Amino acid sequence: MRNRSLAKVAAVSVAGALALAACSNSTPNNSGGLNSGSAGTGTQGAIKIAFQGPLSGENAQLGINEINATKLALDQWNKANADLQVQLVELDDVGDPAKAPAAAAKAIQDKEIVAVVGPSFSGPTKAVCKTYEEAGLVLVSPSATNPDLTKTLNCAAFHRVVPPDSLEGDLAGQWLAKKAKTVYLVDDLTDYGKGAVDAVEAAVKAGGATVVKREGVDKDKTKDYSVIAQAVKASGAEAVFYGGYDAQAALFAKALTAVNYPGLRMSGNGVLSTVFSTNSGADGDGWYISCGCLDATKADNAKEFTAAYKAMFNTDPSTYSPESYDVTNAVLEAIKAAKAKGTVDRKSVWDAVKALNYKGLTTTIKFAANGDVENQVINLYKQDGGKIGLVGDIKTS
Amino acid sequence: MNWLQNLPDYLVLGLTRGSMYALVALGYTLVYGVLQLINFAHSEVFMAGAFGSYLVVSQLAPGEHGFLGASMIVLAGLLTGAIVSALIAWTLELVAYKPLRQRGAPKLAFLISAIGMSFFLVQLFGKLFNRFSGNPFPENYLDKNAPVLELGGVTVTRIQVIIIVAALLTMILLDRIVNGTKLGRSIRAVAEDAPTAALMGINIDRTISRTFLIGGALAGVAGFLFGQAFGFGNTMGFDQGVKAFAAAVLGGIGNLRGAMMGGLLLGIVEAIVPPLPFIGIEWTDVVAFVVLVAILVFRPTGLLGEKLGRAA
Repeated sequence: MRNRSLAKVAAVSVAGALALAACSNSTPNNSGGLNSGSAGTGTQGAIKIAFQGPLSGENAQLGINEINATKLALDQWNKANADLQVQLVELDDVGDPAKAPAAAAKAIQDKEIVAVVGPSFSGPTKAVCKTYEEAGLVLVSPSATNPDLTKTLNCAAFHRVVPPDSLEGDLAGQWLAKKAKTVYLVDDLTDYGKGAVDAVEAAVKAGGATVVKREGVDKDKTKDYSVIAQAVKASGAEAVFYGGYDAQAALFAKALTAVNYPGLRMSGNGVLSTVFSTNSGADGDGWYISCGCLDATKADNAKEFTAAYKAMFNTDPSTYSPESYDVTNAVLEAIKAAKAKGTVDRKSVWDAVKALNYKGLTTTIKFAANGDVENQVINLYKQDGGKIGLVGDIKTS
Repeated sequence: MNWLQNLPDYLVLGLTRGSMYALVALGYTLVYGVLQLINFAHSEVFMAGAFGSYLVVSQLAPGEHGFLGASMIVLAGLLTGAIVSALIAWTLELVAYKPLRQRGAPKLAFLISAIGMSFFLVQLFGKLFNRFSGNPFPENYLDKNAPVLELGGVTVTRIQVIIIVAALLTMILLDRIVNGTKLGRSIRAVAEDAPTAALMGINIDRTISRTFLIGGALAGVAGFLFGQAFGFGNTMGFDQGVKAFAAAVLGGIGNLRGAMMGGLLLGIVEAIVPPLPFIGIEWTDVVAFVVLVAILVFRPTGLLGEKLGRAA
C-alpha cells in the first residue's frame, strides 16, 4: 500500500521480529526435554502463528491496532482451549516492501509457524506472497486492499477479509455521483491512492457526474496544500475526493477550510484513523470516509470485543482491529479443524483456511477461490465534532 | 478563465511560501559567503526550530487569549524557534565543521559531514518525538484562517499576514546586523578575504560560528512559521531545504538580497504556474526546477550574481 523512501527508514531496525520469549510451559505435550517435538503420534512442538505488519516506523499505528487484536484473540483462545495452545510470533515489516522479505524468511524458517495473520499492507504482500506460497504457509490479511492481490498476483497463499479498493472505490464513486454533479479528484501518487481514485473516477463518470479535474499531489513531499485547495475551490466542483492517507488528508482538510471550500469532502479507507481526526480537528468535520471495515466502537455486535480490548490495552480498538480479531479467530478455528482431522501442520491448516466458514464480527469469513471473502460490505463514515462516526452501509446511505 | 480570476489568491499563497523559502535560503547563502560551503544540514536546523517552538507554544497555547496574548505566543514561538535553531546550527558547526577546518580537510569532507549530520538529526528527532509527518501546532489561540484583509475578492488570512510580516521584519533585522554592526562588518570581511581579515585582527573562528548562529536563527523563524501554517515532523526539512537551496542559487549564492529575491520568486512561481489548466499541481517541482535551470542558463551566477564578500 505504501511506498516509502529508503532514507526515511534508514535507521529503523529490521530486527523487530521478536518471537514471544515465553516457552509453552503450559503445554503438557511439550515438556519431554530433548526432541520432544518428534515424540509421540499426533503431537508436535508448539503451534505458532505469525503476525506480519508495520510495528515500527511511520505507519506503526495500524500494525499496532491489528496485533493488539490478534493478541487479544489468542489470549482468549489459550484460556478456553487448554489442549490447543497457540503462540504468536511478531514480524515487523515496517509496512515497507523492501523490509518484507526478511520478515517472511523468519516466518518460513520457523517450522512451528502454521499460518500468518497479515501482511497488513498491499506493497509488502506483493513482495513476499509467492515466497510464502512456495513454503506452503497460508496468509490471511486483515487489511491489504489493493485489487491486484486477488486479481493479477495469482498467489494461492493469499486471503483477506476486507473488500478490495476497487469495490470500495466503485461504491464510493456511485455514492458521490448521487450527491454531486461535479467532482474534483486528488490522489497522493501512491499505489493505493491512485488505485482508489481510478475506481472512483470510473464510477463517478458511470454515475452521470462530471470529473472536473484530477490532480496528483506527492504524499511524501507536499506539506503545503494551500495551492491545491485553492485550485479545488476555484474549479467550483461540488465535491472533492482525496485518495491517500490520514496524515496528508488532515493537511488537505485544513487547507480546504482555510480557503473556505464550500463543497462535499470525501476519502477512502486510508484516511479512516485517529491520526486524521486528531490532526484535522474541526477542519476535518464533514468529511465522509468509505471503508470496507467495521468501527468496533460503534457496532452493536462488537461491544464485548471493544470492552475486552480496552481492558487489555487501555485504549479503544481502532481501524482494522476488529478485522484482525476476526482473522485471528478464523485462523485458530482452522487450526482446530486441522487438529480434528489429524496433525496440525502447514498443509492441513492451509486446507482448513480454504474451507473456513466462520462468522466473525465484521463479516462471515468464507473465501472465494481467488482469496477474497465472499461477503463484502462497504461502510460509510463521517467526521463530526472531531470524531469519526459510522453512518452505515454505503449502498443505503 | 478561472485561473486568471484566482491569480491574486495564488500570488498571496506564493508570497507566503516564498517568504519561508527566503528565510531558509538566507542561511545557506550566509554560510556559503564565509565558508564557500553548502551546509546541507541546514534543512534540519529548520526542522529543529519547528520542534523547539512547538514545545513552548504547546505549553502556552491552551486557554483563552486576547489579541495581545496570542501575539505574545506567536512572538514566543518565533523566538524559541530562532534560539533552538541557532543553538543547533552553532553546535553543528562546532561538531561537524570546525574540526575539519582546523585539520585542513578537503571540501568534499565537509559535504559528507553535512549529509551525515542531516541524517543524524532527522533520525534523532524521529526517535525523540515521533515519525509522523504533519503534526499540528496548537491553533485555537490563533484563529489562523480569520480573514484580515479582503481586497477585490482576495482574502488574506491571519497566518499569511503573520508569515509575511515576520519574514519581512526578520530580513530587515538581518540587513541591519550585516550592514550596521561590527559583527556584520567582520562577516563581510571574512567573506571577502579571510586571511587578510585575520591579519586585521578579526577572529575568524568566532565570526564563522556567529554566522551559523544568525543563519540558524533565520531558519528557526521559518521553522515556527512553517509548522504553525502546515504542521511539522522530523522529515519536513529535506524538501524545504532543497527548495531553499535552489532559491539561494537562483538569487546568486553568497548574495543576501539574491537569496531573498530567489526565495520569493520560487514561491510565487510554484503557486501560480502549476494551477494553469494545461499543467497540473503534480508538476510543481518540475516547474520550479525548470525555472531554476532556465535562469541559470542565462545568468550562470544567479539573478543578482555571486557577490562574495559584499554579502549584502
